[in-house]
Amino acid sequence: MKQRILNMIWQPETFLIVLIGILLTAMGRLDASFLQWEVQRALSSHVWELAIIAIPMTLIILTAGIDLSVGSVMGLSAITTGMLFQKGLPLPLACSASLLVGIFCGFLNGWFITRMKVHPLIITLATMAAYRGMAEGISHAKPVSGFPDSFTWLGQGDWFGLPVAAWVFAVMVGIVLWMMHGRAFGVGIYAIGHNETATRFSGLRVDRYLVTLYTFSGFASALAAVLFVARRNTAKADAGMGMELGVITAVVIGGVSIFGGRGTLIGACLGVLLIHETREFVSWHWNRDELNLLALGILLILSVVFQKLLRHKQGSAI
Amino acid sequence: MKSSRQNISKGWITTAFTAVLAVFLTACGPGASNNESSNASASSDKNGSKKITICLIPKKKGLPYFTSCAAGAELAAADLGNVELIYDGPTDGSPEKQASMIEQYTLKGVDVIAVSPNDPDVVAPAMRKAREKGIKVISWDADAVQDARDYFVNQATAQAIAHGMVDTMVSDIGGPDVKAEVAIVTAYLTAANQNVWIQHMKTHIADTYPNLNLVAIKPSDEDQKLAFKVTQDLMKAYPDIKGFFGISSVSFPGAAEAVKQAGKSGEVMVTGLATPNSMKSYVKDGTVKSVVLWNTSELGYLTVMVGEALATGKLSSGATSFDAGKLGEKKIDGDHVLLGDILVFNQENIDQYDF
Repeated sequence: MKQRILNMIWQPETFLIVLIGILLTAMGRLDASFLQWEVQRALSSHVWELAIIAIPMTLIILTAGIDLSVGSVMGLSAITTGMLFQKGLPLPLACSASLLVGIFCGFLNGWFITRMKVHPLIITLATMAAYRGMAEGISHAKPVSGFPDSFTWLGQGDWFGLPVAAWVFAVMVGIVLWMMHGRAFGVGIYAIGHNETATRFSGLRVDRYLVTLYTFSGFASALAAVLFVARRNTAKADAGMGMELGVITAVVIGGVSIFGGRGTLIGACLGVLLIHETREFVSWHWNRDELNLLALGILLILSVVFQKLLRHKQGSAI
Repeated sequence: MKSSRQNISKGWITTAFTAVLAVFLTACGPGASNNESSNASASSDKNGSKKITICLIPKKKGLPYFTSCAAGAELAAADLGNVELIYDGPTDGSPEKQASMIEQYTLKGVDVIAVSPNDPDVVAPAMRKAREKGIKVISWDADAVQDARDYFVNQATAQAIAHGMVDTMVSDIGGPDVKAEVAIVTAYLTAANQNVWIQHMKTHIADTYPNLNLVAIKPSDEDQKLAFKVTQDLMKAYPDIKGFFGISSVSFPGAAEAVKQAGKSGEVMVTGLATPNSMKSYVKDGTVKSVVLWNTSELGYLTVMVGEALATGKLSSGATSFDAGKLGEKKIDGDHVLLGDILVFNQENIDQYDF
């Protein structure tokens, strides 16, 4: 019993909750206005796109893979929405088309990884450049603007007291958690991350899993792109620039091992929350953008060191 | 063996936790006392009158050009006394981050937001929201979408820039009656700013310097190598050419390098628009006599003055002039506040400027 409680305490998630608690308390002491609900709700609009992409990224990293192309898929999907809208296509169709583009981009990643047996790091590094290049090429780097209010509501409006994107995120997390919890899908992902070869020999269709996950990642990136276009009322080829770094940082801070097989979606969500609050507070309180990178770096190092120690602890306790 | 490892790791965890706590406690200490002064809109100065918080957002923080603008803004804040200046911008030059910053400042309820937009369309929704909340919004250095801001602090009119460049060139190659061939190396053929300048340059040449012959206008596509090549080609096509205008910060050094490598420094003059640091070496070796720009420090100064005047109601729409303190009276053209004159950097004064 005691052992069980101890094990629960030494989880990365517990550590993250404690860390977030300490940070929020400190932030509240420094600047009470930062913790007001209205402020938090408004600032949260900056993070939902990252949070949405973090869901598939967590699953992919759990299988010991990675997807560096998410930001570029965002750019390509954003510009698809924008250019089709400019050509006079109704917005629902333009958005659907951009989701299809995202799905196809993700599928292509998965196909290369499973059929060509190329490491995900290499192939998504390549498609990161290729998708961005396509986006810049198709659009000639010209932004599209002037979307109707009915569309920008998706990114700027509220629905039942929260930004629309927050609901999208909540629904996605709900579905994925439900699928992961004690179901074959979840077990399979962890198994692939622990030992892909053994999982393959045990009869699991590893390739099908991987293609699904990378396709899901493409879809989520495209969804984030549509929300982003609506929020900023601008579709441009450099949408989502650097997104992959933010997402991967959040997931790793959330305790998901980059070597696969370890970590949880809840942890990754806490990681997203942690870096979001840190980012916003640093520019809220100190008005110094350069401190942001420093704070993010410190957080990442701290979190990785702690988790290493926690795993050590766990390993010796079991 | 096992237990000693456990102890070591336990010790590590305790140490690390203490370290984190220490960091936060020190962060809390001075911060808590700072709170009042940084809590923007609520603070007052000794006389009890309200302090005005002005947020100055550059296109990219850390660029020497904008740092020199910020220095001028600091001066204005010090001169005015009732202004609290916040200077912050994206270190990566991302327009999304500019928009996020505007949103943050709006939530904080500052008095004035002055932004040099990287992408007018991206920041426009955030700027409009700020205006809805009663915050005075101005653009400076580069204009925003017109209905998203109250005023634009314009560093120099297209006419002043164009005339400045032509006059400078004429005096560099031999005075008002000089008979010579010159050419323009521009950015893109579609670049809006450059095209307006070219138009003004053409009229000014036709009106004032009939002996000056503008033989070519070539694009460099904002690529220094292409500017270099274009200039080389022009020197071959027009062996008697006397001067080049490099009318973007990229085409200017490209053209200067071509003239220098052709061994024609001093013989063929190059002038144009750029920051002094990027052209210092060419000015020193004589390829370039004069670099045209505006006074960046005064631009920052004027922006803060305009912001303060808007917030206190000293400046309202319809005004045609504005008293900008030590800068004197400044003209207002519609919703543009004009800084006015250009600044010419040459061998004598270029070392005084560092941006």
